[in-house]
Amino acid sequence: MAVSKFETKDLVSGCIFVAAGAYFALESLTYEIGTAFRMGPGFMPLMLGTALSLLGLAIAANGWNKPDSEEAPVWPWRGLILIIGVIVFFGATIRGLGFVPVVLVSSFVAAMSSRLNSPVFAAMLAVTLTVMCTLIFVVGLGMSVPWFGPWLPL
Amino acid sequence: MDIIASLGLGFSVALDPTNILYCFIGVLLGTVVGCLPGIGPTATIAMLLPITFSLSPAGALIMLAGIYYGAQYGGSTTAILINLPGESSSAVTAIDGYQMAKRGRAGPALATAALGSFFAGTVATLLLAFFAPPLARAALNFGAPEYFALIVLGLLVSIALAHGSILKALAMIVLGLLLGMVGQDIYTGQPRFTLGFRELYSGLNFVSVAVGVFGVAEILRNLENEKERDVMVKAVKNLWLSKDDIRRIVAPVLRGTALGSLLGVLPGGGHILSSFASYSAEKRLSKTPEEFGQGAIEGVAGPESANNAAAQTSFIPLLTLGIPAHPVMALMVGAFILQGITPGPNVINDQPALFWGIIASMWVGNVLLVLLNLPLIGLWVKMLSIPYRALFPAIVLFACIGCYSINQNIFDVYAIGVFGVLGYVLIRFGCEPAPLLLGFVLGPLLEEHLRRAMIISRGDPSVFVTRPISATLLALALAAVIIAVLPGIRRKRKEVFVEED
Amino acid sequence: MKKLVSLAAGVLLAGLPFAGSAFAQDYPTKPITVVVPFAAGGPTDTVARLVAEVMSQDLGQQVVVQNVGGAGGTLGAGQVATASNDGYTLLLHHIGMSTAPTLYRSLPYDPTADFEPVGLITAVPMTLVAKKDFEPNTLEELVAYVKANGENITYAHAGIGSASQLCGMLFMDALDTQMTTVPYQGSGPAMTDIIGGQIDFICDQTTNTTSQIQAGEVKAYAVTSPERLGNLPDLPTTAESGLELEIGVWHGLYAPAGTDAAIVERLEAALKTALANETVVSRFAELGTVPVSEEEATPEALAETLSSQIELWRGVIEEAGVYAD
Repeated sequence: MAVSKFETKDLVSGCIFVAAGAYFALESLTYEIGTAFRMGPGFMPLMLGTALSLLGLAIAANGWNKPDSEEAPVWPWRGLILIIGVIVFFGATIRGLGFVPVVLVSSFVAAMSSRLNSPVFAAMLAVTLTVMCTLIFVVGLGMSVPWFGPWLPL
Repeated sequence: MDIIASLGLGFSVALDPTNILYCFIGVLLGTVVGCLPGIGPTATIAMLLPITFSLSPAGALIMLAGIYYGAQYGGSTTAILINLPGESSSAVTAIDGYQMAKRGRAGPALATAALGSFFAGTVATLLLAFFAPPLARAALNFGAPEYFALIVLGLLVSIALAHGSILKALAMIVLGLLLGMVGQDIYTGQPRFTLGFRELYSGLNFVSVAVGVFGVAEILRNLENEKERDVMVKAVKNLWLSKDDIRRIVAPVLRGTALGSLLGVLPGGGHILSSFASYSAEKRLSKTPEEFGQGAIEGVAGPESANNAAAQTSFIPLLTLGIPAHPVMALMVGAFILQGITPGPNVINDQPALFWGIIASMWVGNVLLVLLNLPLIGLWVKMLSIPYRALFPAIVLFACIGCYSINQNIFDVYAIGVFGVLGYVLIRFGCEPAPLLLGFVLGPLLEEHLRRAMIISRGDPSVFVTRPISATLLALALAAVIIAVLPGIRRKRKEVFVEED
Repeated sequence: MKKLVSLAAGVLLAGLPFAGSAFAQDYPTKPITVVVPFAAGGPTDTVARLVAEVMSQDLGQQVVVQNVGGAGGTLGAGQVATASNDGYTLLLHHIGMSTAPTLYRSLPYDPTADFEPVGLITAVPMTLVAKKDFEPNTLEELVAYVKANGENITYAHAGIGSASQLCGMLFMDALDTQMTTVPYQGSGPAMTDIIGGQIDFICDQTTNTTSQIQAGEVKAYAVTSPERLGNLPDLPTTAESGLELEIGVWHGLYAPAGTDAAIVERLEAALKTALANETVVSRFAELGTVPVSEEEATPEALAETLSSQIELWRGVIEEAGVYAD
């Protein structure tokens, strides 16, 4: 991604900081700002958001005229999508499906996010992890979740 | 002397066989939950509260205290082995501890953590016994301006946490500070940056953020290029510390213990700063600061000692004044009350056996922890021989389950995903996650104390310099910046020079 | 060893799953969860755990306290409002149940319509206390001092919607003055700054202040209950000193709306047993409070208290113009 005369790392991270800073600063304008002596809820975020944006600009500028020296690593798309998918799935269904099915499915999918794991290996791993997690968290530590949730006709 | 007699009384309580047993159950449970991300001491103590009804007050409180400092021990294990810090204190241990593990030195890292913690625990127990009341009194001199100054000092000194660009470290701290402000403003109740979700009113969960930016981000990085490198650990070299290691950890352990003991006494957030402060101090004092972040054993020894010392001394405000320093101590207040004892300044006189018994049990607990943890090191290190492709799904699962179990709040689970991606992207583009976490834990405190100081002084900012403690701390902060900037500028000149050469 | 076994059993029991639906007549057949919408270890949590323990014995099933903190107690309450009304999820909430509809302009539940009241539990009195070297020595002097110095006095409270904030509003209302209010995150930090002399004055629950008053760490002026307290016999009531300020942090037990009447009745009976229990009475006494009388531990009494308190606080909060969202 040799877009420009900027170092990619500095340019991208700088842009992220500018964007994040801008979000916090703009959003805090909708809260009461107050004064330095009687600060409202928007005061600190406005200051810090502005500072973050400026820092972001400085970081990006710092990368000027420094061509990338190293090859960027490939994006682990499969891992990104599957692992984030697992986390979202876990959150969305833990109350409805219950502990055992959610952990079983989640660990299978998480294992599949590595190209080195075959479906058979992933399935074995999923069963092992489900037994282990159920024993540790639900039986051992008394976590209050149902084994099988209300969505399942059991 | 009086204190000797009191300690004797304490040990007669703590060494009672049933109390040793409760102490053991406590530290064992603490170690276990400390290892698991999410289910921290708070959740465990809350779950065990009803059971303590049936125990004697001493037994119950000894066990609950054991869970707390046992968890501080255990917390470092997963941080070192799989880069999954369960608590703010172990986030710092993860920086160098995980690097050590990657280089086949998980054994020495774990041993350092255990030995450093034991030493720190012993010293902190003695401090508790001899100086608890005066220390607690001294801590009361800290008002909002002093805490604000202390946090500013902590933030500025901690730029050392980064081993790359200072600008990026600063930006990460500021981003962390901002993320820490998500949730309801405590002064006005105004919900901020909650995107309309009531679940975010109490803010983002620390464990979710830490597990995301450390644990999940690391997994994603390891999935980048699976074929070419096997991520995990080279052959484990040795389990125990070499002579050289021991020589290197002595000073950091001593300094960490001192820093942690002092900061732990401050009820307004001192214990949070302890491990970060110790890490920064070690990096500053080191002759080879470039090793930090690459597996420097000092980076494990200092923070681990500091964190355990602070865990112990944070009992001081509770035991002597009845003031809880943090949520776990608030739970302990509940435990006292359930036992029919209202914690307060009178406990030391009304319940001497209980007061001294708890203190003595802490030392007993520390001995038990070392006996428990040292033999476990071999086992833990063996765990690393599990292939990474089987290990990482377990890490993802543990992270989700742990974070969900804290508050049964599914937003805490989603946050792992969000911060996993954010952390991964930022790391990919050359930023390090530790400063972000520091900012995140200190952000709310910084704002709270600044605004409170301004309200109490009725808008007069001179409070920060007219109060001696805060003035001193701010002067130290200024000095830290100057020291940091001067060689930075010099180095910069050199760099420029080299490049153009 | 026996204790160890029971400990292990307790841990196991709390987590065991129970399937199948229950009929009202053999209720309860599985553990009951009481949601406390505040962090563990706080005063409300303590009340809940003391009561839950005895209710467990009476109901023959574990009564598990679950802390769902956040958003001033509205998260936990909201969760119970939408929970299944099978009698296995209950809410133990304090005075905040009656202030939330005014404090939060966008409350996702209705405290009266979404819950079946089970009964009142206790009303924890509050005390007016100040830092040791605060000038006034009696309540009369305090009133005069506050009127004279107004905003130069700093008043601590434990956060938006906390009992100490409510008491402060009432106090300023009664005196018709304003003080500078300084919010804290919970009673602990606020008391720390009172003891350390960083801030002037607070009105907080006896749960938090009694031990400090007894140890002489703070200066106490009055208690807000109609009668003097057993463990602080020298402390006058507000009424004795001619100040119209009576407030108690009352606690109530609720089930989700539509819970079977037989279940509510069973819970009411268990609650009454718990409130008559010796341990509960003596622990409550140490907290500076007493369980409510048997007539008050009823759905009718709780419903009435709730609706009259909602009205009372609507007036006070709207006048003060303090909102939490």
